[in-house]
Amino acid sequence: MKNMKKVAAAVLAVCMAASLTACGSKAPADTAAPAETEAAESTDGSAAAVAGVDDLPGKTIGVQLGTTGDIYASDYEAEGSTIERYNKGADAVQALKQGKLDCVIIDNQPAQAFVEKNDDLKILDEEFAVEDYAICISKDNKELTEAINGALAELKAEGILDSIIANYIGDDTKGQSPYVSPEGVDRSNGTLTMATNAAFEPYEYYDGDKVVGIDADMAQAVCDKLGYELKIEDMEFDSIINAVQSGKADMGVAGMTVTEDRLTSVDFTEPYTTAKQVIIVRK
Amino acid sequence: MSDFQLKFYTNFIKEDRYLYLLKGLGNTLIITLFAVIIGVVLGFLVAIIRSTYAKTGKLKLLNTLCGIYLTVIRGTPMMIQLMIMFYVVFVSSNNKILVAVIAFGINSGAYVAEIVRSGIMSIDQGQFEAGRSLGFSYPQTMWYIIMPQAFKNVLPALANEFIVLLKETSICGYIGLMDLTRGGDIIRSRTYEAFMPLIAVAIIYLIMVVGLTALVGKLERRLRASER
Repeated sequence: MKNMKKVAAAVLAVCMAASLTACGSKAPADTAAPAETEAAESTDGSAAAVAGVDDLPGKTIGVQLGTTGDIYASDYEAEGSTIERYNKGADAVQALKQGKLDCVIIDNQPAQAFVEKNDDLKILDEEFAVEDYAICISKDNKELTEAINGALAELKAEGILDSIIANYIGDDTKGQSPYVSPEGVDRSNGTLTMATNAAFEPYEYYDGDKVVGIDADMAQAVCDKLGYELKIEDMEFDSIINAVQSGKADMGVAGMTVTEDRLTSVDFTEPYTTAKQVIIVRK
Repeated sequence: MSDFQLKFYTNFIKEDRYLYLLKGLGNTLIITLFAVIIGVVLGFLVAIIRSTYAKTGKLKLLNTLCGIYLTVIRGTPMMIQLMIMFYVVFVSSNNKILVAVIAFGINSGAYVAEIVRSGIMSIDQGQFEAGRSLGFSYPQTMWYIIMPQAFKNVLPALANEFIVLLKETSICGYIGLMDLTRGGDIIRSRTYEAFMPLIAVAIIYLIMVVGLTALVGKLERRLRASER
């Protein structure tokens, strides 16, 4: 009798698991329809979908917390827009796909990656903002800022920086010129800890259990120049500046834009690349 | 000191940043309040079903269902449950507060259920037998004799659960909902200062928990009054 019960319980558990997986696989097909109607509704309801920067007032805008997209978009709060701040860009895009948002404002490169993977999304031609990316370093560590500036200038002059960027961006050049550390580098200067948020393709993202991307390769190249061992710490984007300030990390390299507010808390190196903030909408 | 004042100004007064904390606090309180209500109702129902099965052997099917509910909810992290609610179950809903209330309510229900069940099972079997031999039906015995005693016993553990629930709502930021913690995070992302926003948020949580503890302590004393 007791065995019977055990068998019954096991069968029940299997059924539960099966029904759960069934739910999981069915969900996308099921949800496509409501998401579409929802999209249609919100488009009809709020007059028109977002077609440019001028349409942003009054819309529900998704951003990644603490990014420049967030900071600039927050100015629209005064004009009746709702800003929804997610921990990850991918979460905001997910919400956009499900019709919970009118648009997502995010950096151009990750936006390209998102749109590539989602047929129902597109990037507006009109960019939201143009910005410089630089490495942030504690104000107490001026020597490091100068050293990195020197290394960056060398990398730029030698064309290494361009080849690193080309290795990640551009359909023709992608994967063509991976960065390899020169042999016999002296790493006697110790370890340089880099704080980043590895959810920002192609600047930094996980490939297997390793953080790769433009920023990771560039930081490696800088360390090779300066004779450091590179250590990458993955954390939330809005914690990076805190980590650099408190000395938990030596530098923050995370596709970070130079802004006035940030300059009051940390120093920035010379910009290593420029990027655009773009608007993603549903087709 | 003027440095402190300046920091206080940039973190809370400048650009009305304190509003992030205020709105977040409101959301935290709403979510906690309604989640507690759902949790208590759900928890008591499940506890009664489970202990009825344990005592009388009735409600077998319901007991199995409750067992599965407890296993699934207590066996998965709250954060994952919240994400599943938002991105999988309520795909077309955009009411984040509602989603959070339901997710936290269902989660809390599982823990409340086990707490209340422990209370019911702690009441001596003789109390049941006395009730039944006095002519009370099973539900009447439960309601008039067992529950009042059990409730008094589990009150401290329940208060514990509500405190945990209140603090656990701090993960709401994962679905982009601005609760108190996320309000502090937003300020932190604007001012790049860790100290002020984090300490302010911590103090507000502390005040809420102290208030909640005091309320429960009062209720406990009132219930004790009948003991002497």
